Amino acid sequence: MLRFGMPHDHHDDHAHSLLPPEPALRVRALETLLVRKGLVDPAAIDAIIDQYEHHIGPHIGASLIARAWNDPEFKKQLVNNTDGILADMGFGGRQGEHIVVVENTPACHNLVVCTLCSCYPWPVLGVPPAWYKSDAYRSRAVSEPRAVLSEFGIIIPQDQKIRVWDSTAEIRYLVLPMQPKASFGLDQADLVGWVSRNSMIGAGLPQAPTANRPVDL
Amino acid sequence: MKSYHDMGGDPAGRVTPDKPGDPIFDQPWHKRVLGLTVAGGAMGKWSIDTSRFWRETLPKSDYQSFTYYEKWLAALTNLFVANGFLSRGEIANGAYDGPQQPLYKKALKAREVQQMLATGSKASRPATAQPAFSLGQIVKTKQPSDTMLQKPGHTRLPYYAAGKTGTILFYHGHHVLPNSNAHFLGEHPEPLYSVEFSSIELWSHTEGRGDSVIVDCWESYLEAVP
Repeated sequence: MLRFGMPHDHHDDHAHSLLPPEPALRVRALETLLVRKGLVDPAAIDAIIDQYEHHIGPHIGASLIARAWNDPEFKKQLVNNTDGILADMGFGGRQGEHIVVVENTPACHNLVVCTLCSCYPWPVLGVPPAWYKSDAYRSRAVSEPRAVLSEFGIIIPQDQKIRVWDSTAEIRYLVLPMQPKASFGLDQADLVGWVSRNSMIGAGLPQAPTANRPVDL
Repeated sequence: MKSYHDMGGDPAGRVTPDKPGDPIFDQPWHKRVLGLTVAGGAMGKWSIDTSRFWRETLPKSDYQSFTYYEKWLAALTNLFVANGFLSRGEIANGAYDGPQQPLYKKALKAREVQQMLATGSKASRPATAQPAFSLGQIVKTKQPSDTMLQKPGHTRLPYYAAGKTGTILFYHGHHVLPNSNAHFLGEHPEPLYSVEFSSIELWSHTEGRGDSVIVDCWESYLEAVP
């Protein structure tokens, strides 16, 4: 039994069409109403934003990858007991309750997408970037991943297969990139800077840290 | 029929990668939409499946012209109205005439935020039956509309992977079924599998013969191949 009516096809039936036309005013109008009616606590909104601006981000994923590169036993656990090890480290949670780590090898490159919406492993990578949520990426990543990767400046050789993971359920995929030879022998703290955010989605490759590439890219 | 939110395989333009220094949020109001959406969900009145269904059934013109956070905002507004928390008049007037209301008992409190985000909400449920398919088994997907429990309805089987033959790669245990949960028809947990499809099976033109796409499929999306 439905608890309330279905969404309707007619545009005017949608309450959202009654909001102001300008998006910033639209959200302010909704928040003002919700706060006045006691439905949301503005301090909770601030706290959510603070978490995603300052605490939860790709530095978490990068620290996991760097440690996996340097510590074979940890890597084994990260791949085989992902949710357990993330819970032990305090890195699980919303939109990453079920994470699967997929490892790049010379035979296989992994790329992650969500064609139906924009599912993404938030607890280890933070807020998804605009390109990940774009219609162009959602449309083409499954049918022409090599062309899409070339737009990121990456050419995958023909003898390396590509596996594209479409996040249609609550499983979230994290790519474990191959460690670049030039970084062999570095300690974990120095390796973190090699792990770009995009490399953990499969749309980038690890590279030497440079002054103009912050950890979050 | 394929819905406009189900865009895998559609022709589209180039992807524009981000640049060093791009902000986490393009606009300050994006942050508020994220916060309101998370806080609204934390009230426990609707699931992520319901939220997704209401986003993907926004009018086509809105879905295709709205940015990501505008879609979230529109669906959230409609969910608050449909659940009786806000009226259309209040939305239209941008005002609520009564006194400031005390905080709703299930509203998310600031002190609860960190724990709530760190805990999340698992979709897995105890297994109630043996999975019908085994690793490595060849299976065929149904049509998305045949997996819907009402019309129009929610499904997580993409059109491009409909009626295609693939191989069971992983079994993830039982997970809540979005097709029922989105419509308040119960969780009906089912075995969830990762199914691998060769690009040759999916697309008329493929870039690499060994390439593949993996789609997570609930058991009722699949049938055995004799």
